[in-house]
Amino acid sequence: MTASHGVTSAVGARAATGRADEALIRVEDLWHTYMAGTPFAQAALRGVTMYVCPGEVVGVIGHTGSGKSTLIQYLNGLLRPSRGRVVVAGYEVGRSNSGIEAVRRLVGVAFQDPEDQVFEPLVGDDVAYGPRQLGLAVDELRARVRWAMEAVGLPFDAFKDRYTYTLSGGELRRTALAGVLAMRPRVLVLDEPTAGLDPVTRSDVRERLLTLCRRDGLTLVLVSHDMDEIAGLADRVYVLHAGAVVASGPPREVFARPDALAPYGLLPPYPTQVCMRLRARGIPVRGDALTIEEAGAAIAAALRATR
Amino acid sequence: MNEFELLRNITIGQYLPADSYLHRLDPRAKILAAILVIAAVTFTPSLVGNACLLAAALALVRVGRIPLAYALRGLVPAVPLLVLLAVMQLLFFGRNYDPTSSVVFQWRWLAVTIVVTAAVLKLVVVSAARFIELLLVTSVFTLSTKTTELTLGIESLLRPFRRLRVPAHELALVVTIAVRFVPTLALEAERLMKAQASRGGRFGGGRWHFVTRVRQLLPILVPLVTYALRRGEELIVAMEARAYTGGTGRTAYTVLASGPGDWLAVCIAAAFLAAMLLAPFPA
Ligand SMILES: Nc1ncnc2c1ncn2[C@@H]1O[C@H](COP(=O)(O)OP(=O)(O)OP(=O)(O)O)[C@@H](O)[C@H]1O
Ligand SMILES: [Mg+2]
Repeated sequence: MTASHGVTSAVGARAATGRADEALIRVEDLWHTYMAGTPFAQAALRGVTMYVCPGEVVGVIGHTGSGKSTLIQYLNGLLRPSRGRVVVAGYEVGRSNSGIEAVRRLVGVAFQDPEDQVFEPLVGDDVAYGPRQLGLAVDELRARVRWAMEAVGLPFDAFKDRYTYTLSGGELRRTALAGVLAMRPRVLVLDEPTAGLDPVTRSDVRERLLTLCRRDGLTLVLVSHDMDEIAGLADRVYVLHAGAVVASGPPREVFARPDALAPYGLLPPYPTQVCMRLRARGIPVRGDALTIEEAGAAIAAALRATR
Repeated sequence: MNEFELLRNITIGQYLPADSYLHRLDPRAKILAAILVIAAVTFTPSLVGNACLLAAALALVRVGRIPLAYALRGLVPAVPLLVLLAVMQLLFFGRNYDPTSSVVFQWRWLAVTIVVTAAVLKLVVVSAARFIELLLVTSVFTLSTKTTELTLGIESLLRPFRRLRVPAHELALVVTIAVRFVPTLALEAERLMKAQASRGGRFGGGRWHFVTRVRQLLPILVPLVTYALRRGEELIVAMEARAYTGGTGRTAYTVLASGPGDWLAVCIAAAFLAAMLLAPFPA
């Protein structure tokens, strides 16, 4: 719970929810089957519809195996829709390869396991892979790599010549993030960026992500199992279950009805749960607190009212 | 289209659970039968013979209750190679291959002459047919055999040769690990391609852009080999952590027991091979 300190200011400070008609990314009725046409076929997405507006932080939550990682591979055209549509900045992702590179430059994806993403032996080389593909001059390349590494909290001089297999899990994850950031995408898609990190590193990574969104106007799509994180960061959330969107909206609305979430194996953030349990015991606490600070304020208000 | 889903086209090294005669067959009998059938494929040069073999391979797919479309899917990655091979044979063999054969097609342009003889045509058809037969037979074999069964089978078959210092257990282990690593490496290649494509790496270009596709694989190869080595090391640690010390004194969870039904398969395969060798097929 302590980990959600410091990101609370995100709630309310950001613009209200985006509108579908100004979306940067639009996904319409998307279906996906793994190993299609083989006896191992497995449906992972069944008619997902979602949109992401510029400057928004969109959360995607859902039980294990609900299709989150599959969905985000569509956002930068790694998977191509065979049923349904994906439109990124007005470009319809289809079979053709023309334009797909622009989509991948616009939308940077960090996979669930950083090991999946880091493939060069040296940290500096790995972060530089993307910008190098863009054909940048050496100085510019170096500046970008430095910027990206510092942005995720990896000191450039100390880490650029480290072997990637000598890194700790947290450092590897930062390297993966830096590699994506170095492309300077407009949309950052992160699959569980803080899973398995210690609380301090976790809130550090979150702070840095928030800074990027605020200062550079980055759009963020965040997949996470950590409801506190989602509540603290996201403007809107999509709840995925068995490959379909079963609920969506601002976190306050989605988490307001825990009974509706329970069948999908999800619980609201802890502060929300505390307030709800207090209410269940007849204490008149506002039920819609999302963060520790809000819960604290709500409980204090209730105490003052009953005194 | 899933340009990165390599595993979908790999039928070798996968096991497809089903309840069929082939799935229940004793692995030793199955290995022997498979070797006999592959020998039949290797030693049959005639058109009619290959037609019989193709029919037999399809029958095997049927008996193993494997969807034909899936068994044939393994061919997909090899199609460009097959076509290239056929074109080379047609273009360059000319009269060098069996000069007595009659000329079917001739084309002359300046100093270039392309001659296609009946023998070359036959060769093209037979090589393609052989490839398909081999692929079908090996796919049916691996799709219907669990890796543990394969290990036990190989080990058991090699045991009589231990006197000749044939390391039966080790060989069986090597084969098992090799087969097991095929899908693993395919998945890893898929991951690497996705990671690179996400960051501006260039992949794709149609199925027929053979050279482009091969060149695009180069940046994948180095990390893939590194990964394979690392996986190998991890495997060693995992095996040692479970006190693996080699084959001596090791007992198996499943004990192979073969009945007459199993050896019937070997007899059928042997009879088939004999028939293919002895049959007076037109040359
Ligand atoms: N390469 C693959 N081949 C076959 N099936 C797959 C593959 N990848 C995922 N699946 C299946 O697709 C479904 C959705 O997987 P996905 O990885 O999208 O889930 P997820 O929501 O990201 O789960 P988690 O929270 O555990 O990361 C699962 O049932 C999974 O077993
Ligand atoms: Mg996932």
